[in-house]
Amino acid sequence: MNKLVRQGFKPVDSHFKEDGQRWTVKEKIFLGLSPGDYFREQLKNPFNWILWVIYLVGTPILIARFFYGLGWATHSSYDYPWGLFLSWGLFTMVPLSASGFMMGTTVELFGRKDFKPIERLGLLNGLLGYFFAVVFLEVDLGQPWRLIYPMFVSLGPAAVLFLVAWHVATYLSVQIAELVPSFSEWMGFPRAKSFIKSLSIGLTVAGIILSTLHQGALGALFTYAPGKLHPLWLSAEFQWIHFLCSAIFAGLSMIIVVSTLSKWFMSWRCDDEFLSTLDKLTLGISKGAVLALITYLVIKIIAVAHDNEWGYLLTGWGQYYIVELLFGTIVPMILFTFAIRRQTASIARLAAFVAVFGIVLNRMNTALVAFNWKLYQEIPHWREIIIAIMVYATYIVVYRAILARMPILYTWNDKTK
Amino acid sequence: MKKFDRRKFLKGSLAGGVAAAASVGHEAKAAHTFEGYPDSMGVLVDLTKCIGCRTCEAACNKEQGLPAPDKPFDDMSVFDEHRHGGLKRRTSEKAYTVVNRYDIPEQGEPVYRKFQCNHCNEPACLTSCFVNAYTKTKEGAVMYNPKVCVGCRTCMIACPFYVPAYSYSSPINPIIKKCIMCYDTRLKFGKAPACVEACPQEVMTFGKRKDLIKMGHEKIKFKPEDYVDHIYGEHEVGGTAWMYLSKVPFEKVGFDTHLGTQPVLSYVKDFLAIVPMVLCIWPALFTGFHLLATRKEARKTEQQKSEE
Amino acid sequence: MPKKLKKICGAAVFLLIASLPLQQCFAQGPDTVVLETLAQYYDPVEFDHVMHVDMLGEDSCATCHHHSVGTPLVDENCKRCHEYGGETESANCEDCHPAQRFSADYLAEIEADIHLYHEDKPGLKGAFHQKCLGCHKEMDAPVGCQDCHTRTDAGDKLFRSGKYAPEPSESTAHAH
Repeated sequence: MNKLVRQGFKPVDSHFKEDGQRWTVKEKIFLGLSPGDYFREQLKNPFNWILWVIYLVGTPILIARFFYGLGWATHSSYDYPWGLFLSWGLFTMVPLSASGFMMGTTVELFGRKDFKPIERLGLLNGLLGYFFAVVFLEVDLGQPWRLIYPMFVSLGPAAVLFLVAWHVATYLSVQIAELVPSFSEWMGFPRAKSFIKSLSIGLTVAGIILSTLHQGALGALFTYAPGKLHPLWLSAEFQWIHFLCSAIFAGLSMIIVVSTLSKWFMSWRCDDEFLSTLDKLTLGISKGAVLALITYLVIKIIAVAHDNEWGYLLTGWGQYYIVELLFGTIVPMILFTFAIRRQTASIARLAAFVAVFGIVLNRMNTALVAFNWKLYQEIPHWREIIIAIMVYATYIVVYRAILARMPILYTWNDKTK
Repeated sequence: MKKFDRRKFLKGSLAGGVAAAASVGHEAKAAHTFEGYPDSMGVLVDLTKCIGCRTCEAACNKEQGLPAPDKPFDDMSVFDEHRHGGLKRRTSEKAYTVVNRYDIPEQGEPVYRKFQCNHCNEPACLTSCFVNAYTKTKEGAVMYNPKVCVGCRTCMIACPFYVPAYSYSSPINPIIKKCIMCYDTRLKFGKAPACVEACPQEVMTFGKRKDLIKMGHEKIKFKPEDYVDHIYGEHEVGGTAWMYLSKVPFEKVGFDTHLGTQPVLSYVKDFLAIVPMVLCIWPALFTGFHLLATRKEARKTEQQKSEE
Repeated sequence: MPKKLKKICGAAVFLLIASLPLQQCFAQGPDTVVLETLAQYYDPVEFDHVMHVDMLGEDSCATCHHHSVGTPLVDENCKRCHEYGGETESANCEDCHPAQRFSADYLAEIEADIHLYHEDKPGLKGAFHQKCLGCHKEMDAPVGCQDCHTRTDAGDKLFRSGKYAPEPSESTAHAH
């Protein structure tokens, strides 16, 4: 697509073609190319070849998971009920999708309109991340058709997971609403856009409330098993604060990561406003991220002091914990600071990638590695790994499809004929 | 502004609803003193008497209609089985109770331990279930309702004794499998569970929990050289209906002695209490931030209006 | 002595001598006791009472019968209250140790009896096994279940043993 754009092709960015005709929905979906040209472009992309392989291998396994059950597809056991689907799909993807409320708050609530070019990317990242977290959940649940039970059939309101279920459902609605303007621009529904705009502060505040609570709740889930999670990773009083604080810089770093990937691989779709302001915005986001990082580091140390766990730091697990903090928190913090002082966006981008890696490490450690630390170590089943890769690949495919079409990376040209 | 009010109303109801729900947290502050319903039944397991005959396992299998075991119940080679990480047998979807053998060098003979759901006073499984699938009956049994279970398996994460098993082998109706103290067939009618009745050595005594605690302390007093001076389950994780007496230290026969006396709920309460706070404080707080952050714009708009 | 008196004396002596084994019988209990009250999964037990009496000695009744046949107690704990306890109405185990130890009725009975000290009195099954096995272990006597009573068909079914043994199976799910 990059080559086509260099050759002068202009993908759909308004309701009207050059000659004044309206684009049809079908034409919009094909980006203004003929279907033949479109599919030829897709075949040229090597990333798509990898996706084809993933789908060929993964689809039968995913379908079979529902016929043979979890015992066949995973290593979920009586001792280790939660495996890769939840540790990766839920516990890791949700904090990385905190970008929605971060960007919404920055632009709408705090009035920082200068972040507007990147706002929609943050919102989309949030929506898709949560949506696919639910997909992962459905793959993991023993009886996925009963997903609505905690909402309407049998309520257990005292449980933390009840809060997570309700909040994720409500927050998904909020995020869909926040992306309606983008969708309605693309489809041409101006009334929908203005309706949502009128709710914008309410939606943003709802988003902050819901995000605070469910990001924290995911951490609180582990306080149900205080004896099973290694003391360094567990803090009965502060677990939820740790998860909330890390979600903040996870979401911010993820925006930097996604915007970087968009710049590298989808620059044909980005407009000048996006590309020219991106470096400055990246550094602006870095400031937020580094504040959250230093806070997180300090509250993690406070938690160790609070429970008097200094002795554990000298053990093997302790050294692993220090490595996690080092690479997940201290290194990105130093890199971000350096980038801000030198006003170098590329270093900030590196920092963001490292911070995302740190979040992945922390969540996987909490949910899988340091969980049941007194027992044997659980390794996910190869089928579990393939299904997880496949669902994540679908997330990327959908992400890419929306970025290519809807006005996220570019501004919709609203000119009338 | 009308739309803003509607949204606020929705938020308020959600806040109110969750606040009402989270007010369980308020009750829970007194929860660690909950000693069970007054006439709650219990079982005192005297491990000094267990000979490892596995009749209890056989009786449970029959009473609960469980599938055929891998080996006959009189096959004692099961005591030598080990699973992942060298661990002994545990409860599974086919066995609600298991007996394990512990070879302790100081004892002349092996010590056996029967293991099943302990029917806690403040069960962690019940606390963690978001579809309210668990109930602590007034007879003392912790029951499970498979009709509402979604299969999230949080109860398996929460149970400090690693009791609930999940029927992973079933794709259509996987559910939790655990001891129900023979509630449907016996406990409801005041009868002892099948394993208690079947045991030839009467290792288990069935009666009111509060009476069993007294009985247990009497037994220890009567023959102090035969027992460790502790009833396991009297206070652990807030107290359990199934309690144990042992001659050897409990950690040597597979008991977790680091569980503390707080029910698991105590560790979650701090977060649950915050929920209504956030729901009620965040709206005003962040609307306030918004007003502060946009004051320059507001001033400009006012200026423009006054100029017109 | 007149002939009639001699006859009477002879008969008396004869009776006296003949009754000795009978007296022994009544003094030492029956030769064999068939324990069948609890027989369900196992056949009734043919308990060789006289062998146990011969092995442990005449005054050893208290070993099993506590103080219920009037013989002196050995256990200090028991002596505290029952040193002068004396005989009870019956020496049969099942007349004190209930067959249905955990029935709702019996539980209500012991709860209602506020003067009952031995609340934890085992039922018949527990009493037999605790008493017998305890001693058998010390004396290196048989301790296997089927050494004393063979399993019935119902018992084999319960234990999934013998002809009810399960087939070794391969499952598709991996071991948990």
